[in-house]
Amino acid sequence: MKKILLSKLLIIGGLLMIFNQSCTDLEEDIYSEVLTDNFYQSDEEFTAALGAAYTSLYGYLGTVGPIAAQEVSSDELMVPTRGQDWDDGGHWRRVHLHQWTSEDPVISVPWDFCYGGISTCNRLIFTLESSSQPGGEAFIAELEALRAFFYWLLLDYYGNVPIVTEFDVPADFAPATSSRQDVFNFVESELLRTAPLLSTNVDISTYAKMNYYVAQAILAKLYLNAEVYTGNARWSDALAACDELVNSGKYGLTGNYYDNFNPNNGNSPEAVFAIPYDRVNAKGFNIVQQTLHYASQGTYQLQAQPWNGWCSLEDFYNSYEDDDVRKSNFIVGPQFNLDGSPAIDGGVEDNDPDGGQLNFTPEINELGPNCLRQAGARVGKFAYEVGQNPDMNNDFPIFRYADILLMKAEAMWRMNNGSADALALVNQVRNRAGVDPFASLTEDDLLAERGREMFFEAHRRTDLIRFGKFNDEWFGKTADASQAPDPGRFDPEVRIFPIPKGQLDANPNLVQNPGY
Amino acid sequence: MKLKVDYLLRSLLALFVVIALSSASFAQRTITGTLSDAGDGEPLIGASVLVSGTSTGTITDFDGTYSLNVPEGATSLEFSYTGYATQTMDIGSSNVIDVALSAGTVMDEVVVVGYGTQQVKEVTGSVASVDAEDFNKGNITSPAQLLQGKVAGLSISRPGGSPNATFNVRLRGLSTVGSNAEPLVIVDGVPGVDLNSLNPNDIQSIDVLKDGSAAAIYGTRAASGVIIVTTKTGRSSDRSNITYDGYVTFDNRARTVDILDASQYVAAGGTDEGSNTNWFDALTQTGISNVHDLAISGGNGQTSYRASIGYRDVQGIAINTGFDQLTGRVNLTQKAFDNRLKVSFNLNSTTRDADEGFDYAFRQATIYNPTAPILNDGINSRGGYYQLSAFDYYNPVAILEQNTNKLTTRTLLASIRGDYELVDGLTASVFYSQQRESERRQTYYSKDDQWIGAGRNGLAEQILDNDFDQLLEVTGQYETNFDNVNMKILAGYSYQDFSDDGTYMQAGNFVTDAFGVNNMSAALDWGQGTGIADSYRFDSRLIAFFGRVNFNVDDTYFLSASLRREGSSKFGADNKWGLFPGISAGVNITNLTDMAGVDNLKFRVGYGVTGQQPEDSYQSLSRIGPLADNFYNGGVFVPAYGPLSNQNPNLQWETKSDINVGLDFAFNDYKLTGSLEYYNTTTENMILPFSVPVPPNLFGFTLVNVGELNNSGIELLLNYRAIDNDNFTWNPTLTGTAYLNYDLVSLSNDDFNFGSFRDISNLGSPGQNNTPTVRVEEGQTLGQLWGFNYEGLDDSGKWIFTDNNGDGTIDTEDRAVIGNGIPDFEFGLNNSFTFGGGWDLNVFIRGIVGHDLVNTFRAFYETPNNISSYNILESGTASEFANFSDAPQFSDLYVEDASYVKIDNATIGYSLKNPGKFSRVRFYVTAQNLLVLTGYKGVDPEVRWTDTVEGELFKLGIGIDRRDTYFATRGYTLGVSLGF
Repeated sequence: MKKILLSKLLIIGGLLMIFNQSCTDLEEDIYSEVLTDNFYQSDEEFTAALGAAYTSLYGYLGTVGPIAAQEVSSDELMVPTRGQDWDDGGHWRRVHLHQWTSEDPVISVPWDFCYGGISTCNRLIFTLESSSQPGGEAFIAELEALRAFFYWLLLDYYGNVPIVTEFDVPADFAPATSSRQDVFNFVESELLRTAPLLSTNVDISTYAKMNYYVAQAILAKLYLNAEVYTGNARWSDALAACDELVNSGKYGLTGNYYDNFNPNNGNSPEAVFAIPYDRVNAKGFNIVQQTLHYASQGTYQLQAQPWNGWCSLEDFYNSYEDDDVRKSNFIVGPQFNLDGSPAIDGGVEDNDPDGGQLNFTPEINELGPNCLRQAGARVGKFAYEVGQNPDMNNDFPIFRYADILLMKAEAMWRMNNGSADALALVNQVRNRAGVDPFASLTEDDLLAERGREMFFEAHRRTDLIRFGKFNDEWFGKTADASQAPDPGRFDPEVRIFPIPKGQLDANPNLVQNPGY
Repeated sequence: MKLKVDYLLRSLLALFVVIALSSASFAQRTITGTLSDAGDGEPLIGASVLVSGTSTGTITDFDGTYSLNVPEGATSLEFSYTGYATQTMDIGSSNVIDVALSAGTVMDEVVVVGYGTQQVKEVTGSVASVDAEDFNKGNITSPAQLLQGKVAGLSISRPGGSPNATFNVRLRGLSTVGSNAEPLVIVDGVPGVDLNSLNPNDIQSIDVLKDGSAAAIYGTRAASGVIIVTTKTGRSSDRSNITYDGYVTFDNRARTVDILDASQYVAAGGTDEGSNTNWFDALTQTGISNVHDLAISGGNGQTSYRASIGYRDVQGIAINTGFDQLTGRVNLTQKAFDNRLKVSFNLNSTTRDADEGFDYAFRQATIYNPTAPILNDGINSRGGYYQLSAFDYYNPVAILEQNTNKLTTRTLLASIRGDYELVDGLTASVFYSQQRESERRQTYYSKDDQWIGAGRNGLAEQILDNDFDQLLEVTGQYETNFDNVNMKILAGYSYQDFSDDGTYMQAGNFVTDAFGVNNMSAALDWGQGTGIADSYRFDSRLIAFFGRVNFNVDDTYFLSASLRREGSSKFGADNKWGLFPGISAGVNITNLTDMAGVDNLKFRVGYGVTGQQPEDSYQSLSRIGPLADNFYNGGVFVPAYGPLSNQNPNLQWETKSDINVGLDFAFNDYKLTGSLEYYNTTTENMILPFSVPVPPNLFGFTLVNVGELNNSGIELLLNYRAIDNDNFTWNPTLTGTAYLNYDLVSLSNDDFNFGSFRDISNLGSPGQNNTPTVRVEEGQTLGQLWGFNYEGLDDSGKWIFTDNNGDGTIDTEDRAVIGNGIPDFEFGLNNSFTFGGGWDLNVFIRGIVGHDLVNTFRAFYETPNNISSYNILESGTASEFANFSDAPQFSDLYVEDASYVKIDNATIGYSLKNPGKFSRVRFYVTAQNLLVLTGYKGVDPEVRWTDTVEGELFKLGIGIDRRDTYFATRGYTLGVSLGF
């Protein structure tokens, strides 16, 4: 009996041995992804990996991304609460009123956008440095310059932020806040160091990429706003950076202003640095949804019903002369379906004087909660296509040559407010818009012209701060000084956003900005 | 179409009658007798008499007598009665068999525990068992429904009345905040089975392992408890048994929200479109469902089998919703080598075709203009339906009639098991199983569908998902006795792998609606590059070694100790393996001292550690894959590749350790029986996506093990033979659960700092997107609803909220705790009656007390925001809101106490005393959700354990009743059970 038992046990033991090889194997088999250690085997894979640095820019125009931080906090755009729509916990109104909190998405999302891009650049720089990929050094310079762009945005929005350039850090690495001066110095030195290593080609090979002139454009922005950032004006440096582009002869104004904004605006001679939005390949530009009315779906045969939110302030709309071609930056007036029949607003309020046919009026009755659904001039600068889906094909210019010309004019004017060259540059831009040239230039003229030309290109907040107008009164908002519960945030030396609460929670080494 | 179904039903019934008559040709004899109490000689009323090895049987009447048609070849009868020892009597030549049953040996019943069974008297962990006869009755769409309210501590809820919605099952509330919180389901030894793949009629019993000491043998997946399902098997008898169970159910709308009708709406300022439509009526129907189950079982000395086929045609109350399901099951057991070898085959196949519809239509029915017609031509029309161009505003009937949303599920579960008794007491077993589940979802939005389809010019979507799981287990069991000690030893090895692959396609822009999803290449989207195609595969593996030892000393002292060492491929390289011990002990006090009136008193205590693994594979690894977008590189777009998540090489299991103390009792000759339990659970290393700084991290979230949750509760089970006289019995059973606490002790550790709180569960669009409703806060209880305190409206119709922080302004800092979504107490009270010879009545009352719900219907549609085109709730016409002129804002105004008591299920049945040629004939009528008592004003006061808003799942978003809730139903069922 014992023997039989033993032999049976041996048989079972033998069976167990058969699958013994795998019987404690817990390695993961991976199929639809690839382990990082097994990637970077070919040039094609390297190129694809480097692409991640540029795709991290696609969030620039997200609903609460940098575009919202720059535009909705300014006198150009607002997001009123229209009955039950767009209250969203009041954060859109708070941005308009300059009463944002450190938890509001318009504060936290741009931070995530910038540091997401920085983190990707750091990772790719680390990967390239530890590989022997040919051409790696040029790629590294390109990534470092792109990283400096993100740091410039952080410098502009938040001022005092941590500078992280390493990827290979411990998991509990908690970087400390650097002062705004230090961040300024970092961005400046990085750009000065990397610019000579970047391509000076301005063609399809560098379109939507970091080249020598993009680095100069960032430097121009950095120097033009240096007084705000550091207290020390750098006008002549701003002028020199602008001249790098102007004197290169590689850029020029397009004959038609709207060639820069239509759905086929890729490779415009005015584009210095663009995001190549595309409804298939590069999604994320959806102002069509944000701004148009529900009934506009019939006007453009849109694939999805729009959200009826963003519109321009009436005073800003009226800052355009009637014969200014740029007044088509807005959509106003009665709206029609594609077949010519009136576009009917099925949800029109009883107290809307415009009645059932959709009619965009520049006047806005209130910031909310009872802003009329049809109120407000809508963003029409980037032309919509019939059959448009929510992701637009129009490329978005982060830096545009007309901006460089206006920045150059401003730098010259700041150093000599009788500068004829400055006046000529501004009039060059005005001429293209079909309006009469200025006879002379005031500070207000400069700011207003920048507003008209650069509407909805994510520069307005920075410009208003530089011109000292950011804290003024405008529609629906009193002057900040009169309403400030926390005066520090409106300190002319500050005017920066708070560090997002989530970041302070996650990193004890961060310091909240003054006034918050 | 309706006629056809009815015709089919009638044909089936006719067929079964023919089968019934033909089976009656078997020779039968009638045996009669009386059952009595062996102690006092009193007759036992309602005791069960069963032909051994069959389901043929009857119950004793008011005199304790029975009469049973016994088929030829039957060898013995089984006599059983609650609280008495079951007796088996051989059938001799006599046609009269009288039996006296002895009270006090109820504990001979067995329950199923992990990898085996245990006698009730030996159980020292927390195990609840529900047999088929105690299951919920009526229109059962999922096996989870069978248990609703039957097990203390097991919360089963399905908000709303969709037959396609899944039940949320929570054991002892929330014991984890990270991973999947549903219990592990084990069917006939196979872990991880989808309960919905089973035919409820195939289930013999369901056992629930509630505490860690009982569940620890299932290791990394047992932290939310274990539900063990045992299916029916054949018994060794000489002839086959055939049973037929069929019913037809009529479901109607039970609860909706109160909205304005056409005349009220116009009076309130709504635009009069000239018609009068009750959109709730237009959207709903009487759902007629019919279910047929046929089973054959039997066997001989060495072979037993049971085969069944079940068909369910279930109609929802929303038009064009419901499902068809066909389940086939074969269980076969063969013994050989002097019965030392036992081989069991189980095969279960299920196909389910569901029309899920779109719950979004319920939201639209609430707000759509009641003066608008359903159909329309010319202006304000599309596809023949009335349609208006306004935000988030679509004809609800058109949504359900123009579009389709079908889900087809096929499952196949096959297993084979061999048990060989090597020597007396030592058994070796090998078990292999394979489970395949494939799901195909097909959604099509018509070109004329204003909601989604028209914008895309027709939109088709198809998702195919295949799961393939295999299990191999080798176990050995040894049982021996020395002196007065009985010892059982179990040891085993388990290997299970899981594979999940699938494809996804979405494309729009069709010339015609004719194809639906059946010709995706016809979509113009492909040519324009906007079609989406994807495929994926994710694998994982679990490997475990386990053992258990049980001691029974003199039927007085009991000890059970188990250990499982388990590894998961999902864990980080250095943390692949975990240890999960469980130990419990008990003492039967009645065996130590004499206590008058006390039949049984067992005290038991257990401690166990169980785990939970992450849902997704590969989270511990650094992986690269294609990103959502491409990048522009020299004139062309090329793919961008990048990391897919933060890597966490330290990822490990979540651990739950719990203490369970229980007392089982029986008094007064087993008239009152029950148990009382207390549990205290601590969950640590919870698997959570945790906010981390970027950089150094690549993403703002990492899946980490963090935090500590403590919860405790008390559970009570009471069974009382209240009335037990000649022609009337009443047997109430009460289950109760008190949830004492849910303390989120910590959500931080040395590496990860949570901050103090997180606000989650966005109220939603329109206008309340940045409006969290739930606060998860360290040191506080879970389930906290969070928002402003409403005080009233000012003269200009603007909100007045309480300035809680007293700073003179109302801002987000003024929000406070305004409710809690977790209940304090749940109970189920079952009353079963027998009377009048053959009648049975069962009334099941179920209640949940102390939970709040956010009534989102009110939060969006109460105040008149745009009355000219959007309908509102009747409560919005209150004078309080007459001057309302603000945007909707979330506050405690919309948080309601959702405590309820329901008559959940009432069944009255009649069994023919002399069923003639049948062995059993019973007719019954069941009413489900007969009456609901609650102050809650929304659609369904059921507990909401999780929240999904715009596709995002919030696992701790407890207590939000969403606007898309499928209306609750009330159902009436007519059924028949036949035995041949």
